[in-house]
Amino acid sequence: MSKIMVIPNSKEKIEELLNDSDAFLLGIKDLSVNLPIGFTLEELNPVIKLLNKHNKEIFIALNKNMHNSDLYYLKEVMHKLNDYAINGVFYYDIGIVNIYHEHKYNYDLVWAQEHLTTNHYTCNYWYDLGVKYALISGEITLEEIIEIKENTKMQLIVPIFGYLPMFVSRRHLIKNYLEYFNLKSDSTINYIVNEGNKYPIIDDNNGTSVYSAHILNGIEESLVLKKKKIEYLLLNSFNIDFDVFKKIVNIFKNINEDNKEEMINTFNKLIKEPMDKGFLYKATVYKVKNNE
Amino acid sequence: MNSGIFERNKNIIKKPELLAPAGDLERLKWAIMYGADAVYIGGTLFGLRANATNFTLDEIKEGVAFAHERGKRVYVTVNIILHNEDVTNLTQYLKELDKIGVDAIIISDPTVLSLARKYTNLEIHLSTQQSTLNYEAAAFWKKQGVTRIVMARELTKEDIQLIKNKVDIEIESFIHGAMCAAYSGRCVLSNFLTARDSNRGGCSQICRWDFDLLDENNNPIIGEKNFSFCTKDLSMLKHIPEMIDMGITAFKIEGRMRSIYYIATVVDIYRRVIDEYCKHRKSYTYNNEYEKILSNSANRESVPQFFNSIYDSSCQYYNNREEVSNQDFLGIVLDYDPKTKMATIEQRNYFSKGDMVEIFGPNIDPITITINEIYNEKNELIDVVRHPRQIVKIKVKERLLPYYLIRKKGFDKKIKV
Repeated sequence: MSKIMVIPNSKEKIEELLNDSDAFLLGIKDLSVNLPIGFTLEELNPVIKLLNKHNKEIFIALNKNMHNSDLYYLKEVMHKLNDYAINGVFYYDIGIVNIYHEHKYNYDLVWAQEHLTTNHYTCNYWYDLGVKYALISGEITLEEIIEIKENTKMQLIVPIFGYLPMFVSRRHLIKNYLEYFNLKSDSTINYIVNEGNKYPIIDDNNGTSVYSAHILNGIEESLVLKKKKIEYLLLNSFNIDFDVFKKIVNIFKNINEDNKEEMINTFNKLIKEPMDKGFLYKATVYKVKNNE
Repeated sequence: MNSGIFERNKNIIKKPELLAPAGDLERLKWAIMYGADAVYIGGTLFGLRANATNFTLDEIKEGVAFAHERGKRVYVTVNIILHNEDVTNLTQYLKELDKIGVDAIIISDPTVLSLARKYTNLEIHLSTQQSTLNYEAAAFWKKQGVTRIVMARELTKEDIQLIKNKVDIEIESFIHGAMCAAYSGRCVLSNFLTARDSNRGGCSQICRWDFDLLDENNNPIIGEKNFSFCTKDLSMLKHIPEMIDMGITAFKIEGRMRSIYYIATVVDIYRRVIDEYCKHRKSYTYNNEYEKILSNSANRESVPQFFNSIYDSSCQYYNNREEVSNQDFLGIVLDYDPKTKMATIEQRNYFSKGDMVEIFGPNIDPITITINEIYNEKNELIDVVRHPRQIVKIKVKERLLPYYLIRKKGFDKKIKV
């Protein structure tokens, strides 16, 4: 049975997700990207206690690209997290692996290079270096995910619901645009539009992030992945109403072969925004011209 | 400064490597002829520029032989992010590259590193696709057997220096060419908007597209031009002396899909700047003409960007994708007859009788001439050369060689820096 891992979008309402979630992925202010909220270490402490009390697994995303100037704070956080009862730390920047190896922390590492986690060979490369989990890329097919599962000892975390991250830049692209053309906007979230598709775009302290126009809807595929014993299904609440998300989590937790029709009907009624299957059935191509 | 590249009298004893792109065998030869110390190329498989012509194994062999005969090096990009299916034949391919004697491979996916270390003696460089930004990451890759890291383009001068001081590993930095708007490896816009995999060489440059921008209430935010991710290009021309003093191992020019004129021009200019600074460090002066020539060769504005910690709106490019095609490149010298002093030229852009032009080539000072006589292939006098790739002859007193190029005359002012 796959565990349900959630990315919450409210600090205050985390308790409401306890019933149907097995694991929580939480961000740290200034060290995480592509998460709707970031905690300070002080804010994190009571949340961890709450989750520990309810025997929930806890993962912390230290998943931004780390510059030298981030290292002091990063090391401080990695060190303090060792005193907290957490299960793992998501990393994008490879510097984290070096720091981790040096200090041999109690928690495990999650290879979370977002778009680069695309094959089982590289899963095994990191596994041999002591990395226990991998967050699988949102741009590979269901078939590829299953093939990875069958060929690695790593525990896999598969994105199954939510807007998918597709771009991270250090540049402040919205701020730059507004400044360049002397415009004003106080929006914390904007949208860029192409061929009728609206892509959420966020410009914050870390730079700019862009997300998919459609919500990944892997409700049916979650049953396949559960059967294949994928360890974690990841549900992202970014840009989704909390109450709707709570119901979605409940559906993913409880859907099975017997109730799936009813569950999928309920699911489809809940989501008003456009959804699609992402890349679960769509292989990307890269060779568009034959070599002469 | 602790770069270890100076003698006691402060002359520079170790020049940085000038590393040029080559999308095919012809470009490889042009890059080397114009002064590159090394070139990077892609095979027909496993490289991140799937739309460049790229090299077959036989062509790699020929390219390596051409380079090695001239004391130059060839690096092969094996830098796609692998999917399960891509690993088939990878080991065999790496063995072939090793057998050919390429000087290094450039990798992104650690599986390539792992296989190369297990089955070959290939030197391994880490691609910028891994976005190495700090000394902890550099230290990790060194332990894994990487000998050189192509640094992330988001690094400042201080960042590079700190990594250099903390980790004893070769450092390669971009000095010229197009920039990604995102951290390398962290953009899959192409995957979502065109179903082409950006991390397997299918980047369709969505960052240069225009978009409508809406606020959180779906109200349009309208500037004089549309929103775009697009950034200006990178040019480190003014900072080459600083970068040499920092002890950076290799200076990389971007653009495996660029034209031979672009490659020859850019390599030639950076070759001159590196050589001039290394030879006359104390009396070096910045040549403003070089900047103008580089600027004209790319048709896009270029700035140093992150090196100076500047990545604000001054680095953005909002032009509705209107770019002017390059008109400076006039022709290629195919042949020269010393008896008649007639040069055979293949035309690339319109020129005419009376034009003042500049002829440049490897290891020569540019020659400025006014075109007085032009003959067509029937040996008839003509006034203008307007047909693409038209073969003509012009009179030039100085002896020319094949590979020399003709461009519009620039300026020649030097400023002290």
